[in-house]
Amino acid sequence: MTSRIEIYSPEGLRLDGRRWNEVRHFRCAINTHPVSSDGSSIIEQGNTKVICNVIGPAEPTLRSRSGDRLGISVKIIVAPFSTIERRKRPQSDSRIQEMCSSIQHVFEDAVIAHLFPRSQIDVNLYIVAQDGGVLQACINATTLALIDAGVPMYDYVCACTAGMLDREVLLDMNRIEESDMAFLTMATIGATRKVSLLQLEMKVQFDRLEPMMAAAMSGCHHVRDLMDNEVRKHGKSRRQMGSL
Amino acid sequence: MPRDLTPSTLENTFVLKALTERVRLDNRSFNQLRDLDVSFSSTEYGLVDVKLGRTRVIARISAEITQPYPDRPYDGLFLISTEISPMAAPTFEAGRKSEDELVISRIIEKSIRRSGALDTEALCIISGEKCWAVRADVHFLDHDGGLLDAACIAVSAGLLHFRRPDITIEGVGSRREVIVHPITERVPVPLAVLHVPVCVTFSFFDVRKASSAVAGVPSKDEMKAENDDDDIEEEGDSSIAVLVDATLQEELLRHGYMSVTANTNREICQIQKGGEMPVEVGTLLSCSEAAIIVAEKVTKLINKRLKEDETRRNVGNLLVESRAENDR
Repeated sequence: MTSRIEIYSPEGLRLDGRRWNEVRHFRCAINTHPVSSDGSSIIEQGNTKVICNVIGPAEPTLRSRSGDRLGISVKIIVAPFSTIERRKRPQSDSRIQEMCSSIQHVFEDAVIAHLFPRSQIDVNLYIVAQDGGVLQACINATTLALIDAGVPMYDYVCACTAGMLDREVLLDMNRIEESDMAFLTMATIGATRKVSLLQLEMKVQFDRLEPMMAAAMSGCHHVRDLMDNEVRKHGKSRRQMGSL
Repeated sequence: MPRDLTPSTLENTFVLKALTERVRLDNRSFNQLRDLDVSFSSTEYGLVDVKLGRTRVIARISAEITQPYPDRPYDGLFLISTEISPMAAPTFEAGRKSEDELVISRIIEKSIRRSGALDTEALCIISGEKCWAVRADVHFLDHDGGLLDAACIAVSAGLLHFRRPDITIEGVGSRREVIVHPITERVPVPLAVLHVPVCVTFSFFDVRKASSAVAGVPSKDEMKAENDDDDIEEEGDSSIAVLVDATLQEELLRHGYMSVTANTNREICQIQKGGEMPVEVGTLLSCSEAAIIVAEKVTKLINKRLKEDETRRNVGNLLVESRAENDR
């Protein structure tokens, strides 16, 4: 199928003028909703915008969920105006439920859970605009919101996507690129080589898998540095304001 | 209300300790699949019974003619239904989707539908008006771990085995009629299966937790077991045990998992590594490579059984004679 859009030009430029190994414009802010939640963050990766609210640790809503470790309950609300065509997505949509369960498992392991027995953290994610890389934005937003809420974590959990177009690896794809090629979403624990989440949805030759994973990993490490900068900047400004 | 099966602390400790000594409770090696048996029904096309150890899954493929989606007039429909009933295990409730069910249905969707195992364009009869709707129903009869793997094998084998009725289109323009020939009139036609996806689930165990759970510290000799050549985790972290094809008990006790779907073209159709237990990247890559080897073994078995089924049905060589293909 020939498309009139050139995803990757022969000069090495993508649709938005990036090179293959450049992530999109990353903007994040934490403590954006100080009143309504214990921790909050807004992440913008290119045109994908996600808001995250964290409430907790608090008493669990379902008695059956209380155990000797912290439970995390994730809810994702996709705004109907988040895509080009206005579409209402029911909460029971299997894609959304799968994302919720993935994020829950990622953070149940990333948070120092045994410090909070019989407690629960509610994570609410609002996807305001979708332009590819939604799961990665959700994971990054949740990390920042949990840090803002003061929940002890072993390390940042950073996520990034990488795709393979013929033989070219592309990092951090937008919606048009995602629909046109095989891509994977990877979430790492900080700047280590440990992978918490890995999701590949379209067929890819096995030999092309390694470069994709390597690119995604370096993307994750880069995102970690970006998030760390913002957290430290925020901490400094809070200290200066005297609220600490 | 049935409760979740939570294994006892004793089981947990025992299994983990056995893993530090590189022993699995059913004496398989870490890379070994359980006994796999794929049997096709001799009376119906598209009915396949898969036994993976003690896990038993049946897949039923059926096809009917219907209208295609308006935005995809050249494609047929392909639906996979993977509802787990309490027949498989008492922890599953009829009508309510547990998380396991959600994972299984999503991964089967990605492995078989999204990877294009079945060519939906070949299912089109009259574009925009009539097309075949192929439906794969998976029934889980017995749960002993590996429901996902067994279901994937069952659907893939079923798609290869199924034959849809032959059709002819008569008339022109708007007065076209589609005539469906029963099996007694014309030999049924196989589906256009482009590749055979096979899902393999790897279970991760953090064996360092074993030493903290057992009274006393394990000696250094216990930790350094003899090396098999094809063990996955030698290349990565030695503190992680990677098991292929977990039984129910291993599934309940595992700390993390990864499902890789591969086919014999050395393609990886999908990877799903859940969020539990971070694992080294190298280990994940070795697992994907191991999945390809398993896919080749399983595909060989499926093809062998398909051939046996064909010879069984081919009484008096009628099937061969009625085929219009030329010998090459």
